[in-house]
Amino acid sequence: MTNIENIFICIAAPLIIATIVSKGRGRRMLIFMIAGMTSCLLSSYISTFIAAVQGADLIIASIEISPLVEEILKLCPVLFFILVFEPDKPTAADACEMIAIGFATFENVCFLMINGADDILSLAIRGFGTGAMHVVCGSIIAFGLLHLWDRLWLRAAGTVALLCVAVTYHGVFNVLVSQTGAPMIIGFMIPLVTTAAIIFLRGRIKSMGIS
Amino acid sequence: MPVIESTDNIIQLFTTGFCAGLSAYRAFKTGRHAWVLLFFAAFVYFLADIYWQLYLVFYGETPHYSYIPDAGWYACYLFLILLVNDIRGRRDKTPYNRFLLLIPVFTVGMCVFYLQFGDFIGNILAAVLMSILIRVTVDALIQCKRRELLKNDALHTDRNRNGLYISVLVFCFAEYAAWTTSCFWMGDTFANPYFYFDTVLSFTFLIFPYALKSALKEQGKVTDGYEDRNTPDGKVAQND
Repeated sequence: MTNIENIFICIAAPLIIATIVSKGRGRRMLIFMIAGMTSCLLSSYISTFIAAVQGADLIIASIEISPLVEEILKLCPVLFFILVFEPDKPTAADACEMIAIGFATFENVCFLMINGADDILSLAIRGFGTGAMHVVCGSIIAFGLLHLWDRLWLRAAGTVALLCVAVTYHGVFNVLVSQTGAPMIIGFMIPLVTTAAIIFLRGRIKSMGIS
Repeated sequence: MPVIESTDNIIQLFTTGFCAGLSAYRAFKTGRHAWVLLFFAAFVYFLADIYWQLYLVFYGETPHYSYIPDAGWYACYLFLILLVNDIRGRRDKTPYNRFLLLIPVFTVGMCVFYLQFGDFIGNILAAVLMSILIRVTVDALIQCKRRELLKNDALHTDRNRNGLYISVLVFCFAEYAAWTTSCFWMGDTFANPYFYFDTVLSFTFLIFPYALKSALKEQGKVTDGYEDRNTPDGKVAQND
């Protein structure tokens, strides 16, 4: 049995101290990262609960339930930040990505606790793959917030639609990595390739000035 | 693994993938908002289909809980609503046609029928989204026809937009026909009409890019939709 709360406290404690010491943008980023880790903790509870209610086993829960729960819970801190603090668009987009990074970090820590840290190659593939997948999902929503919608109702409807894109992308990733061999490798490579494409096209997207 | 269902899925993967690829290319080329929306509509449908197909390949059966593909398909309807709204632009200040009231009658009626086969929340969500999509599209089509009758300046532009609205309505019809025939599942055979309607739906994704290109062709640099977002100085407005 993994005491996930104890791990969370150990990882989050130095970050909480750091938020007290740091100021400005750095502090905000640390808070988003802690929020992402908290979302990961809560999503593991909720996924487990839903799986128990539905009578789903571990594999079914990880590929059919957890992508939906994880993406919704990742969006909750961003929604809170947007609704309460009314930040500008780039700050909201940064929040999406930092929360995704916090989420991925904590998920990887939990994976290490359960599966050990012996095989560096598979851990590196998993670490980069999962990290990239969460960042891509965060970036999808950040893209919508930054570039697509100006009017409030369009932004609300569009964000829900992009959340569904992130959920489906996450679902495809989980189906592939639940296998062994080539499908698993392809699964881990897809987010890495997507991240590379995003980096490559970032300048182009910014210069597009979508109208 | 069901062969005909897989073939149907693969055809749909190709058409949605083609639509997403072409839309992404045109979005980068033109920077138009509408192309980004069509890209996401096709891409999310593609992702939902690929999830479904991978599940079929790896586990030999359809997903136990269809939350994830359903989320993808519903997101596609939402993107199409946003796309039609974007193309239509600001609505004329004319009263709504009362025949639009028949749309919720149809969608709610179909929803009640589908509820007999289960999935309470999914059916209601689909009915709500389809009601909005059909209503927005039919209303936009009626507006076009009204402008044509009035011999407005926007006559040519409106005719070009008709193609997109009609293809969205064909998409909705194919979706409803596929849902209805899937209620009387005849198995993985060519005699099953579900596969024919699903193929029609797949082919609408090939029509969307051409219909959208045509709709955008005559719109000029500033369309109704963009007027909403632009300030008098020509700068894009921030938050409303």
